[in-house]
Amino acid sequence: MSATPSFLGQRAVILHRRSDATASLARCCNLLGIRAEIRWQPLRADEGVDIVFVDADEGWDGLLPWTAPDKPIPLVALLGSEAPGRIAWALDQGADALIMKPVVSSTVFPALVMAARRHAEGREIARRIARLEERVRLRPLVHAAVQSLMAGDGCGEEEAYDALRREAMQRRITLEQTAAALLVRPRKQVG
Amino acid sequence: MKTLRLGILFSTYGDYGALARDCRDGAMTAIEDLRGAASIAIEPIPGDPAGSSERYIELARRMVQQDGCRHVIGTVTSQARKDVIPVIEKHDALLWYVCPYEGFEANPSVIYAGACPNQHLLPLFEYMLPTFGRRVYLAGANYVWGWEMNRLAREIVTKADGEIVGERCLPIAETEVERLVAEVAARRPDFILSNMIGPSSHAFLRAMSELGRRDPAFRPDRCPVVSCDLTECELPELGNGVADGQLAAASYFDSLDTPLNRVLKARVAARFGPARRVSSYFATSYAATRLCVEAVSRCGTDDPIEVRSALAGIDMPSALGSLRIDPATNHADLPFLLGRIAGDDFVILQSRPQIAADPYLTRSRPTLQARSAPSQLRVVS
Repeated sequence: MSATPSFLGQRAVILHRRSDATASLARCCNLLGIRAEIRWQPLRADEGVDIVFVDADEGWDGLLPWTAPDKPIPLVALLGSEAPGRIAWALDQGADALIMKPVVSSTVFPALVMAARRHAEGREIARRIARLEERVRLRPLVHAAVQSLMAGDGCGEEEAYDALRREAMQRRITLEQTAAALLVRPRKQVG
Repeated sequence: MKTLRLGILFSTYGDYGALARDCRDGAMTAIEDLRGAASIAIEPIPGDPAGSSERYIELARRMVQQDGCRHVIGTVTSQARKDVIPVIEKHDALLWYVCPYEGFEANPSVIYAGACPNQHLLPLFEYMLPTFGRRVYLAGANYVWGWEMNRLAREIVTKADGEIVGERCLPIAETEVERLVAEVAARRPDFILSNMIGPSSHAFLRAMSELGRRDPAFRPDRCPVVSCDLTECELPELGNGVADGQLAAASYFDSLDTPLNRVLKARVAARFGPARRVSSYFATSYAATRLCVEAVSRCGTDDPIEVRSALAGIDMPSALGSLRIDPATNHADLPFLLGRIAGDDFVILQSRPQIAADPYLTRSRPTLQARSAPSQLRVVS
């Protein structure tokens, strides 16, 4: 079941010169219970904003306090131009959704829902990649721990690996952490 | 300005025909009543797109481009409304929409006089869940109205610790309802939400009536079918007593006993004969048309921007109660009524005063609570 999306009480900054587009956008934000501030000055990282809309037609590097991979909140680009350079700029900022100008009211809510979802998915993917990268990085440790168990207990590779995994599960830590622990303490505690 | 040209755009054939005829008749009756009474002359420009998307767009375009209409009262389905809106926007006109719908829209170029879910579905479930139980079956038409109403109902019921015991959507004109009814009979819900429409809904209500005769557990007093779109205008078509005891939510019923409704009913009886019942479609269209004319008269121009801002200051008495358009959402504040079908009429079981529309459910979250927790609906009187 898809829950009804809610933006109630969120704070948005619209980085855009005041215009029909910002008036239309501000009206929609108000309907959705979002407090929106319109301004044409750089955003700081510590402003406690929940959503950013940015003018991709005239936006410049430095308008946003982050680069795409570290973007901490959903970003919606406002675009009138079809110039590839401007589309690329929006993508480089990490835009999660696009609203074309002139801003038609029916496009705002869908763009917000999509941006929030895409942003959350992006964050989740980034977290998962970070976890996997750490596991890949620590793989030699697991190998070393298995070798150490095999040498100490005279067991086969599979048995040693199983013992390591069992302990990881019992202690509810990762295999890599178990391996690291094993390599710095007497091995008879394991298995 | 001398003459207000009002586009009347309804498709009176097909599955939604009965609803659209009531919408059209409501608007036309209002225009007749205002002839001579209003400070401006009104010329209706009718158009019937016969259910075709292309014809909707073509007729809307002709109304605003050639016939000089800056206000169009029209469309029943959300699809038709979405088809017409770009034409309206492009020519800076105003569309007056008079039907209940699934919400999640607040276009500046549209005045929404019909109810959205916080004005129909949410209060309906606030009544149904404690009264009949929390095991609910969802039946809908395969169309955005059915899908979105079912989605919302599921959200409400789940949050109230209830259970959706089954859900089935049929093609819009489908009248083969055997599987649906067999599933209802097997799952034994406490009540059924039906978002079906026209012939499909009629076939379902007939089959439920049959099922109720075979098994008293499915009689309407124990397992009712409720809807947010069934009105008086479909009851004659349904046949005598088939839907008796079933329930519907609306912002108006013919049986409302108020001075203004007595006037409206007398007028309708004089024009259409004593058997004709007034539905919420008729009454809303009638009231919205009068509101449009009132706003234009006050402005002295039909300029949609001026009319929209004039609307903010108007609180017009109508058969639906005091009709006011919220300038933030362009939606009407509407009362909630729950009716039980008895012959050609609805017996009003429950009523709530005017509720401000919340088309994006920003304030009235569907957080219906388990059992005794208090209501979180925002009721504005």
